[in-house]
Amino acid sequence: MKPERFRRVISAVLIVGVGISAALIAIGFVAALAIGWQGSLVGAGPFAAATTDFSNLPARLASLEPAAIVQLGLLTLLATPVARVAASVVGFTLEGDRLYAAITLAVLLILLTSIFVLR
Amino acid sequence: MTPGADIAIFAISAAAGLIGALAGVGGGILVIPTLTFGFGVDIHLAVGASIVSVIATSSGAAAAYVRDRMTDMRVGKLLELATTTGAVCGALLAAVVAPAFLYLLLGVVLLGTAAIQVARMGEESPPNDTPSPLAARLRLESSYPDRRLGREIPYSARRIPLGFVLMWIAGVVSGLLGIGSGVLKVLAMDGVMRLPMKVSSATSNFMIGVTAAASAGIYLGRGDVDPRIAAPVALGVLTGAIVGARLLGRVSNRAVRLIFLPVVIAVGLETIGRGLGFGL
Repeated sequence: MKPERFRRVISAVLIVGVGISAALIAIGFVAALAIGWQGSLVGAGPFAAATTDFSNLPARLASLEPAAIVQLGLLTLLATPVARVAASVVGFTLEGDRLYAAITLAVLLILLTSIFVLR
Repeated sequence: MTPGADIAIFAISAAAGLIGALAGVGGGILVIPTLTFGFGVDIHLAVGASIVSVIATSSGAAAAYVRDRMTDMRVGKLLELATTTGAVCGALLAAVVAPAFLYLLLGVVLLGTAAIQVARMGEESPPNDTPSPLAARLRLESSYPDRRLGREIPYSARRIPLGFVLMWIAGVVSGLLGIGSGVLKVLAMDGVMRLPMKVSSATSNFMIGVTAAASAGIYLGRGDVDPRIAAPVALGVLTGAIVGARLLGRVSNRAVRLIFLPVVIAVGLETIGRGLGFGL
């Protein structure tokens, strides 16, 4: 991959990630202003747990809880730099830059460890 | 949290993002004291909200810098090894460290930031001499297009091991306090590794999001990221940062620093006061 294209891909990953997450967080926030953080946009939300609890997200999204929509946005935001690093691993590999592909892969592993292992 | 408080947090975060973007720092160091002192938010939840907003602003700004070739991706990647490990250590430490210590540390970082801003009132570009063997080996020689000078400026990194250690410390501070610690990152690249100032700022911004992501996952798993606080803070800081980035070309650096300094010094002193146990 040409460096020029590499940079454009990285830039696009960042913009799309931040855009989607900002939209989700904004929708959830406005909904919460309207109906409160414990509410649900489709009838009574049976899952309204502590807002810091990210578990059971799909079911809570299905009942359109504002807190759950914001949580999905926050997770998307967290995933954005991870996606950017993953894209860099591919980019450096395609450029034939083994040293930096390895360094970037190490950064990716540290990120994934911190997110999935160290809790 | 009442709707009034939600809106107030959004507005204050927007102001912090605006000042942060103009002054070249994330809004985090201004958001955390406001949340804890102004709204009685637990410092751990404030830190959790701040770290999330740091990812948003950094990623947004980095997108533009990467496209414009201001970011050195090799330097960034190499140093991210240091900042992410540091951030993980910092985030793990934050759970066991007393809030009083966090306040003290935040206060010291704030005053340090102010001191660096004073020192930066006038700044120049680094001298250009022969690259170190390590820089050659790691291929940390590059160039960037300087719009003001209208030509490519070549540069190479030096004192890489020392820069690496400083970056690790920046990562620890970032993980502990939920801030981007961009000032420390720029200091390591510009001051120690002698990269051009513009490259240092852009690369710092590029790295901040990844550093923050390393500790944000830990905060999230621990229940320190509360959507009720993180949503208005992230949206506010992002809005402020976008507006600030647009304004940046039109405002003089001096004017920005003259607004920023008194705020940072006041908040820094107040934070240290809290840490020492004075109810200010």
